[in-house]
Amino acid sequence: MQHVANLSGLRATHAQAAAIEVAGLSHVYGAREGTVPALEDISLTVGAGRFVVIVGPSGCGKTSLLMMMAGLRRQTSGTILCAGRPIEMPDPGRVGVVFQEASLFPWLTALDNIEFPLSIRHAPREERRRRADAMLNLVGLAGFGGRYPHELSGGMKQRVSIARGLVQDPPVLLMDEPFAALDEQTRMTMGHELLRIWSQTNKTVVFVTHSLTEAVYLADEVLVMSARPGRIIDRTEVTLPRPRTYEMMATDVFGRLREHIWQQIRKVT
Amino acid sequence: MRPAPATVRRLLLVLVLMLWELVPRAGLLPELFLPSLSRTLGVLVQNWAEYAHALVVTLYEVVLAMLIACGAGILIGALVGGLSLLRQLLLPVVSSLYAVPIVILYPIFTAWLGVGSQSKIAFAGVYGFFPVMLSTAAGIQSIDQNLLLAARSMGASLPQQITRVVIPATMPTVLAGLRLGGALAIIGVVVSEMLTAAAGIGYLVSKYRTVLDSPRVFAAILMILVLSVLFDALARWVERRTLAWQTAGLRERGAPMRKETYVGATGAA
Repeated sequence: MQHVANLSGLRATHAQAAAIEVAGLSHVYGAREGTVPALEDISLTVGAGRFVVIVGPSGCGKTSLLMMMAGLRRQTSGTILCAGRPIEMPDPGRVGVVFQEASLFPWLTALDNIEFPLSIRHAPREERRRRADAMLNLVGLAGFGGRYPHELSGGMKQRVSIARGLVQDPPVLLMDEPFAALDEQTRMTMGHELLRIWSQTNKTVVFVTHSLTEAVYLADEVLVMSARPGRIIDRTEVTLPRPRTYEMMATDVFGRLREHIWQQIRKVT
Repeated sequence: MRPAPATVRRLLLVLVLMLWELVPRAGLLPELFLPSLSRTLGVLVQNWAEYAHALVVTLYEVVLAMLIACGAGILIGALVGGLSLLRQLLLPVVSSLYAVPIVILYPIFTAWLGVGSQSKIAFAGVYGFFPVMLSTAAGIQSIDQNLLLAARSMGASLPQQITRVVIPATMPTVLAGLRLGGALAIIGVVVSEMLTAAAGIGYLVSKYRTVLDSPRVFAAILMILVLSVLFDALARWVERRTLAWQTAGLRERGAPMRKETYVGATGAA
């Protein structure tokens, strides 16, 4: 009895330590002439509260991997555990998702967009409003709740999208190139803002991007994926201290990390 | 200062009405071609009972035809737009049928349903059906798939995806189709009444045309004109009310954004 209790206790601490565990994940696309391997034997562990960035050449399947972590797509084989339980379908209470296109509903105001996940599960009106307001404050958009998406700039739309992803307070936030469509300046500001939100909320973030500068600036750990079939070929721990500042981008450490990751990507393309 | 377009439009309308009154009075056109506005209105008032009865018949047919056109159009349009098999089977056929002058089918409708209201309702319903169905199908096909993906990531079930995403997303195109289909239903009713009927405003037009009673013909034309304009105004009003989000904030375009409440960007930089 004692032994079992210990085991479950162990399991609980283990689950706390790892927000996401991917084990032996492979994916194959069915095509007319046979099958195309898309992802091959991917195993990774994302510790709770960590900021992990995935980079890789176009078509390496990093977005697919993220969609599988979100439960939006099924892998051919392998498992994905989130908080110790498998991900088989979307579960916004465990995993929030932010897409490249902000994907806001144009007929809803910013506030109603943020409330959407809550209204989907019929949360009481006051709770919805209260939590959406809190999220709006968190992402720095207080006073903009009544605006429709077409009245917001690209950066503001992504702020709303982040608020919507976080409104159910999931431990994990998955982000698929969220700032790729923004101009360089807005992109830098948004990266910095994301780090602020991340440190305030203690979320685990898995972030997919093409930008190596963005990757090094944001990440605790950068994973490099190879082109088809997608495999993880490198892990780089980003040793820069936190909080990150724009000045760090000019340092040797930053440059060396960026260069190292670039060399890894060059090897496989 | 240039006058507002709305003012010019109203002035033009007044001018047309004045010409309608003045040209026949001045003897520039014989009454057979164009009876004056006051004469036309006078006939309308004197024969009010006859015209009111005709209006009731026509309105009844128009309303039922619109219900058929809208109901069947939205239902079949949604199926055709949503199911690719049906789309591939039906859409090319329907699109080419759209060019056929459906009025040639009207004799068949009278043969099947008689010369009463049923044949008008059926014919006008079919006539108005096509634009509603085609625009509904187009609206469903052009839904931004990212919005559905986002809704799924937030845990929306299939019925919720339909009610919360598909319906609001297709609303603009469907409403535009309803406005067009409704107008065609009016045309269908009036045309069929003019061809073979024993009641209705269209019937009055053709009845008095054969006896060369121009004032009574024009009185009927005036009623149909007013009916169509009122329908269009109503349809536009519904569109404006339903799609208010599309034009939100356009009034204040050019006005500076309330930067002072946008704490995020300034706070981070």
